[in-house]
Amino acid sequence: MVDPTWLATAPALAFGAAALVLLLADSVDPDTTNATVLGGIAVAGSLVSLAAAVYLLYGGVGIPTGQGGTGPAVILGGQLVVDQMALFFMTITASVTALVTLASVDYVREHAYQAEFYSLVLLSATGMSLLSAANSLATAFVAFELVSLPSYALVAFLKKNRGSVEAGLKYFLVGAVSSAVFAYGISLVYAATGVLRFDAVAMAIESGTVRTVVDGSVQAQASGASVPMSILGMGIIMIIGGLAFKMAAVPFQFWAPEAYEGAPAPISAFLSSASKAAGFVLAFRAFAVAFPIDALAGSGAVDWFVVFQVLAIATMFIGNFAAATQETVKRMLAYSSIGHAGYVLIGLAALSATGDGMAFSMSAGMAHLMVYGFMNTGAFLFIALAEYWGVGRRFEDYNGLGKQAPVACAAMTVFLFSLAGLPIGGGFFSKFYLFQATLNVSAWSLAAALVINSALSLFYYSRVVKAMWIEEPTGERTIESYPTGLYTAIVAAAVITVLLIPGFGYITDVAFRAVELL
Amino acid sequence: MAVPAQYYLLLSAAIFCIGLFGVLTRSNALIFLMSVELMLNAANINFVAFSLQHGNLTGQVFALFGMAIAAAEVAIGIGIILVLYRNFSDVDVTKATTMRW
Repeated sequence: MVDPTWLATAPALAFGAAALVLLLADSVDPDTTNATVLGGIAVAGSLVSLAAAVYLLYGGVGIPTGQGGTGPAVILGGQLVVDQMALFFMTITASVTALVTLASVDYVREHAYQAEFYSLVLLSATGMSLLSAANSLATAFVAFELVSLPSYALVAFLKKNRGSVEAGLKYFLVGAVSSAVFAYGISLVYAATGVLRFDAVAMAIESGTVRTVVDGSVQAQASGASVPMSILGMGIIMIIGGLAFKMAAVPFQFWAPEAYEGAPAPISAFLSSASKAAGFVLAFRAFAVAFPIDALAGSGAVDWFVVFQVLAIATMFIGNFAAATQETVKRMLAYSSIGHAGYVLIGLAALSATGDGMAFSMSAGMAHLMVYGFMNTGAFLFIALAEYWGVGRRFEDYNGLGKQAPVACAAMTVFLFSLAGLPIGGGFFSKFYLFQATLNVSAWSLAAALVINSALSLFYYSRVVKAMWIEEPTGERTIESYPTGLYTAIVAAAVITVLLIPGFGYITDVAFRAVELL
Repeated sequence: MAVPAQYYLLLSAAIFCIGLFGVLTRSNALIFLMSVELMLNAANINFVAFSLQHGNLTGQVFALFGMAIAAAEVAIGIGIILVLYRNFSDVDVTKATTMRW
């Protein structure tokens, strides 16, 4: 057991502490633009968070004491629970944040507000880590907003750049509406069940009567009122809506291409990898724990896996077909990230009506998010590198880049082929695992959508690869410097993407056990 | 109890829909913010009403969190609208179209 128990949230605390240190450094010396110190604090905070998450994950926090673990760390009367699932996602968040902050050192080097930039990134990462551990709709909502609010400011960070401001505006507008929808959904679930803690909500649904929490234990309400299933179902649908925004899935995907295209590229990497994973961890936990599929089946509330099936298929097709028609590389990656949200949604959709296959499909989704965290972050960081060099935005502008920057282009090739699902990176295995999950429950439509879209995605990803390696450069382009931070981050992401081929079995084992222990 | 719970649900649903209507039809960013506030406060009405109905304080506490978060959201929103005005000389959300929708 971690002693004291709250120390189990160390991955989140490390982010929060580093953010405060940055604000302190900024108030001591407001005019400093010392990128090495400010970026160093941010990278150090992320690495401490990563080390803490991996240490606790290996230490067996969340595994019952009988099986060699130390049991889940239950904090604040069950509002937060640090278990294997939480630590798995804290590891993803910390890895992505470390890569993004490392790459940002070069990207925002000349900028006047670096301390604010890094502290906003770290505060958002704090929210993501907390969201992984949220075990109540109340903490989930607060953590959800802690992720969102700094990221609105980050997208609009280049405040003299019209694209960045426009992106921030659109991200904020869609985000504000979806968080209101999310809050209203939570209020309906509370109205129906009388509780917000996930396990208590589940008990209310299973017993069919309103519950209340007294001194941490869930009890029946004195009135004995029954749970109105129609209100509950409405609430669940609205919660799915709020989560879809965070995942960048249909129907709240409109913001994603705008926000990713206009935002500074490291922030696009951060949002499309870590923020998406944060949305999914909340969905996994809420729908595995709070809304048990077997108790809801036939209750008249909502069969949520059917909703997720529709969303998954729609998201895959919209994301991938839109990506195939793009002219700019960053926007293509933005749409492809919507498509990947559709793949991960299979984790919540490839279930039978009684919930069979949940552990397998959810762990496939988790494994895909882990691989995606590295390959997608790497791809967006390559865009950051291209922006740093002043290479244009269109596919043609990348012509012949492979001759001038072979290392970075080789890494980008790994990312793109892995995203497409070729066995050059972990992306092949995670997609294959998702495919198996769909076959396990005979969800043929999901399986077909996955295969069709993967094949299509190979087409538009290889356009970039072709431009980089095969095409001759059209105009004059001189690359003056090779920024160390960006290069380190890109190469590290590429190496881990490749290492996830042999390491994939281990990732799925951890993910499978994490879901089983929920 | 004086007022049955379903009337509160009706009231909050009506306010939520008014807010949603405002979001979908108005192009002034400030009115948009006000509409979002309506939607968030519709949720708060539910929380407070059902806190009384269920006889526990969970809902009231959530309503406090909700108000604090709504205030933070407005602060960020006003900041973004300010830079919007500086760059586009307008607070019309339909005017900012340098990128393809």
